[in-house]
Amino acid sequence: MSGTVSLFDSVRVVYRVLLRQLLTRGRLTALVVIGAVVVLLGWLVGRTAPDEGFPPLSAAEIAMQQLEDGVFVVSLVGFTLLVPIVALVFAGASLGDPRDDGTLVYLWLRPMPRAGLAVGAWLSAITVSLPLTLVPMTLTAIVLDAGSELVAASVIATIVGILAYSAIFVLLGLVVKNPIVWGLGYILIWEGLVASFGSAAAKVAVRGYLSSILTDRTGVDLALGDLSQTAGIVVPLVVAVVALALATLRLDRLEVA
Amino acid sequence: MVVVSNVTKAFGDVVAVSDVSFTVGPGITALLGPNGAGKSTLFRMLCGLAPPTRGTVRVLGRDARTDTAVRGQIGLAPQQDGLFDRLDAFQFVEIAATMHGVDDPRAAAHRVLDIVQLDASDPKSVGAYSKGMRQRVKLAAALVNDPAVLVLDEPLTGLDPVQRRRMIALFNELAAAGKCLLVSSHVLDEVARLGSRILVIAQGRLAASGDYHALRELMDDRPHRIRVEADDPRRLAAALLGRAVVDGARVDAEGIELDTLDVDTFGRQIAPIARELDVRLRGVRPLDDDLESVFRYLVERR
Repeated sequence: MSGTVSLFDSVRVVYRVLLRQLLTRGRLTALVVIGAVVVLLGWLVGRTAPDEGFPPLSAAEIAMQQLEDGVFVVSLVGFTLLVPIVALVFAGASLGDPRDDGTLVYLWLRPMPRAGLAVGAWLSAITVSLPLTLVPMTLTAIVLDAGSELVAASVIATIVGILAYSAIFVLLGLVVKNPIVWGLGYILIWEGLVASFGSAAAKVAVRGYLSSILTDRTGVDLALGDLSQTAGIVVPLVVAVVALALATLRLDRLEVA
Repeated sequence: MVVVSNVTKAFGDVVAVSDVSFTVGPGITALLGPNGAGKSTLFRMLCGLAPPTRGTVRVLGRDARTDTAVRGQIGLAPQQDGLFDRLDAFQFVEIAATMHGVDDPRAAAHRVLDIVQLDASDPKSVGAYSKGMRQRVKLAAALVNDPAVLVLDEPLTGLDPVQRRRMIALFNELAAAGKCLLVSSHVLDEVARLGSRILVIAQGRLAASGDYHALRELMDDRPHRIRVEADDPRRLAAALLGRAVVDGARVDAEGIELDTLDVDTFGRQIAPIARELDVRLRGVRPLDDDLESVFRYLVERR
């Protein structure tokens, strides 16, 4: 009557279950509010006229100043806080919550490949995180009024960031007991602090690659991202694949309560 | 169908299961033991959820921890209460069927929800269910893949007497159909009604095994400790010892703590002897009649 389940079917059914579990009103409200604050901040910066100085700046210099301010806001508030935090909340909970509340047994003790669990969890986290970050990040880039390149760069970097961070935090949810606490430590200390020590340090943080996408598309030097846009996209995706492979291995060796 | 060989499970310095071996075939086998005895840990190892520190566990000749296919032959109703609380009962069980690769998950979900007497069309999420209803959802999910081996951790907890009777009848039907059922409980009477082979687990060890009547005899034959409160405990103790009604006595100001191997004789003779000595009995109560002390005795006698 029963048999083994293919990778595709296991991804589909795990995705279906975890998506329902992740969508809680509390989480959605909190993260929509944070996204709205980011947009508001962008709007305020966009409406602040650059200091014209003496002699007065030319129109091109004012536009450049606006772009630099815009890239700075997007990088600092968007890619240091909003994108990783939203990814942490959902990806950390995707398998972390079932592990804590004992429901992981209903996913684990099934004739399904473990990779289906990891990928299904990752996809469910992405499905919720992407709109919650892509919409505010795009709106922020628009209200900053700093040109279409910033909008395009923000969209690309947000998508890449969510894909990479979600995979990292799915893994984290399987490795530690309190993924939110550990994840915040990682975001603030590693991604926020260590990566800001210079371009070499930024190469070992996802933020460095997202900054590279911003720098490559806008021409604004962020000091953290001196790689090409291609590297900025490919390396985080490779990190995501590695994190999911490690999550699969972790699931194989996990002691399920 | 299930072979457990010299299995030990340690969590750091704490040994949860110690050198346990048994073999289980078709039918019902009950794991009886107090809370914290190691029953759930044994079940977790059996299902592959946790690896043994030493020894081997085989279900249908295979290791459920590493063998994907054999997991499809196991149905587990775990002890913990957690369910996917945002799903309704039908969705929960249908998803379990899908994850087991059942041919028609919807039909299978309808079938098993009917067996446990839950309404498949109930839109209420399982998060709003009572303990007994959640227990039945777990049972339905464990049954949905028609497994050869059913592992049911305290499955009767939270059920009302009617549901209990029904579930026990269902377990007996499944056993008669050749399934292997492992059912844990810490309630002796509950196990008695299963009419099964019993494995007594205490302090992580296999303390005894056999059918209910053999275990009951074993438990009744153990030394009993009884507290007697009387006006003149010293004289009463001397008489009881002198007539070999008890094997030992410790006297204090209020009464006597007695040890006896023959509790029936003691019960028949204590009142006549007290009357004969003109000693007023204020109370007679067993000090070790709880199941914990029975388990302790069974472990110590090994």
